[in-house]
Amino acid sequence: MNFLKWSCFLVFFSFKGLLATSPDFDVLDTSHRINGSLMNEATGKKRAEVLDLLWGLYRNDKLISHGIMVNPKGYLLSKASSSMGARYAMSYSGKYLPIRIRKRDEKTDLALWQITDSSKLWPFAEWHNDLNKTKIGNWAISGNKDLSGLTFGVISAKSRSIGREGGVMGVILEESNSSTKGIKVLEVLPHAAGDRGGLKVMDRIIRVDGRTVRTTEQIYEIVKKKDPGDLLTLSIQRRKKESLLRITLGHREVAFDMFNRNLLMSGPVSKRKDNFPMILQHDLPLFKEMMGGGIFDLNGYCIGINIARIDRVTSYALPTPVVLPVLNQWIKELP
Amino acid sequence: MNKAQGSTAYHWFLLFILAALAPNKLWGIDASNTEPWNKRIPHSIDDLLGIQKQLHEQLSEVRETVVSVEAIEGAGSGVIVSPEGLILTAAHVIEERGREMTVVFPDGNKVKAISLGGSELSDAGMLKITEGGPWPHATMALANKSVVGDWCFALGHPSGFDNERGMVLRLGRLIRKKDETIQTDCRLLGGDSGGPLFSLSGEVIGIHSRISQNSDENFHTPIESFLSNWNYFLEEDILTYGSLQGGGFLGVSCEEASKGLEVLELIPGTPAESSGIRPGDFLLRLNDTPLDTREKLTILISRQPPGSMVIIDYLHKGREISVRLTLGERPAKE
Repeated sequence: MNFLKWSCFLVFFSFKGLLATSPDFDVLDTSHRINGSLMNEATGKKRAEVLDLLWGLYRNDKLISHGIMVNPKGYLLSKASSSMGARYAMSYSGKYLPIRIRKRDEKTDLALWQITDSSKLWPFAEWHNDLNKTKIGNWAISGNKDLSGLTFGVISAKSRSIGREGGVMGVILEESNSSTKGIKVLEVLPHAAGDRGGLKVMDRIIRVDGRTVRTTEQIYEIVKKKDPGDLLTLSIQRRKKESLLRITLGHREVAFDMFNRNLLMSGPVSKRKDNFPMILQHDLPLFKEMMGGGIFDLNGYCIGINIARIDRVTSYALPTPVVLPVLNQWIKELP
Repeated sequence: MNKAQGSTAYHWFLLFILAALAPNKLWGIDASNTEPWNKRIPHSIDDLLGIQKQLHEQLSEVRETVVSVEAIEGAGSGVIVSPEGLILTAAHVIEERGREMTVVFPDGNKVKAISLGGSELSDAGMLKITEGGPWPHATMALANKSVVGDWCFALGHPSGFDNERGMVLRLGRLIRKKDETIQTDCRLLGGDSGGPLFSLSGEVIGIHSRISQNSDENFHTPIESFLSNWNYFLEEDILTYGSLQGGGFLGVSCEEASKGLEVLELIPGTPAESSGIRPGDFLLRLNDTPLDTREKLTILISRQPPGSMVIIDYLHKGREISVRLTLGERPAKE
């Protein structure tokens, strides 16, 4: 009994001793956090196996996207709209090799690249093709930005399709169906697409992409069919002079929620983040330059391709059942 | 005297033995029979899979208790903690007492609710469903059960309710716990506010409060705040910074410790300064009510007008002292 009493005290005492040696004992050391260095060690050999499949894609010596080796002949899969213009790919082991684009798919926003002067056979991804087994709460891992280690997260919400959003100009137009010449611009949202393209309040829009417009509805019809990032050509009348403006359409939520705190707190997000046939949602901390890389289960099987960073709690990945049909078709078509 | 010294030496020796034998969290080596989520750090894929399995089990137990809370201006989240439909949320989600709100269940079903009390100090808030029941409800963790390093998971409706997406899960660890705040590396966004932070044993240990610029150091209200001030939140009011003005004032700054509220500083010219209480003392009780949180002291003091008499029991150099003092007036904000 006496012994028990003392051992309690002693454990307490040793605890106090530890406190003295680590002044910030109240705060969990960064190495112990979900994306701390010690988590990498828990994955053992899988760490190198996963990192061996991931590549960084570079344009002008700047990382623009991640990619994943999908075939021993040096084929790399990535996100098309992020990886456009890439010239080199760098592996986790530091190899820096020229690449060229071989295929691109609009629907999934995937692109296939190939290492051009490759004579060796590369380790390539194995796929986990059962979406039903990719449950909310499953671990999901990927490489960190410079591929020096893994990042960790979980599948965080239901798999689903993401509808098309369409591009916006970020302006408010006069509701008109009359025959007065052009449609008057009533308001231009600061920093949105129209503002950046030079559109001003009281301008009259005469033609859109070469088509004369007489009603507000006609303008909406043309814009609606385009995506964020697409170009729109406007003929406008300002103080009786006609001129041409070129506007790169933006995201609806970015244009109309410019001061939305959630977006301000999220940092750079992906340009295309809508219109996907099916996505996996996860909470991995990804930068927009990490799109196109794979996410994996703990056994090292690829469960999807990171396709859009939405905000600071949300990233989308295209699940394997969406990726494989596109990829297999491409591989069949190539030598 | 000699005997006592001999005995101490003997126990010092014991300390050495125990320290060498103790294969516990303190020494970085986890006993092999410790559950994976209770280890200091997962050591293998099996440990990670163990955490995943536990997360799946607890998630299916608690997900029905997580709701979206809609006010007129925006939406937050909440968690039901009683069959009668009592919901814990954030103070900044309810803002005031007696407000009509709508509660949305995971299946999209909506019911009416009314806001109760809370506190802006910790950002704790309560509301109650006013129709139907009984409701699925989560268990609250006991006070001081969660500690730094614990694995935890966050649920909520970031950016508002979305039927196709459903509620969103985040996994992380408790990285800091102090006074009225818990911090974790679970990622949060507006709309998550008021949502529950669960331990991996499926108990509510906190409520999402504020997001940090650094996305992996977000803030939660500890469950201890609710437990400590339960009746005040439930039946009385919501404590706002504004409502502190005009209430009584003691003039002591303190920090929560295991023995009580550790006194850090006494403001010159206040009742506390002349009371005999000194920095390093521990405040134990006010008018016989145990002071388990700093917030409780603030609530008890500010509810009484200046000039009221209170009795404070405190610990001074290990000796318990009782002092009677008259509350002063809170200095006006500059």
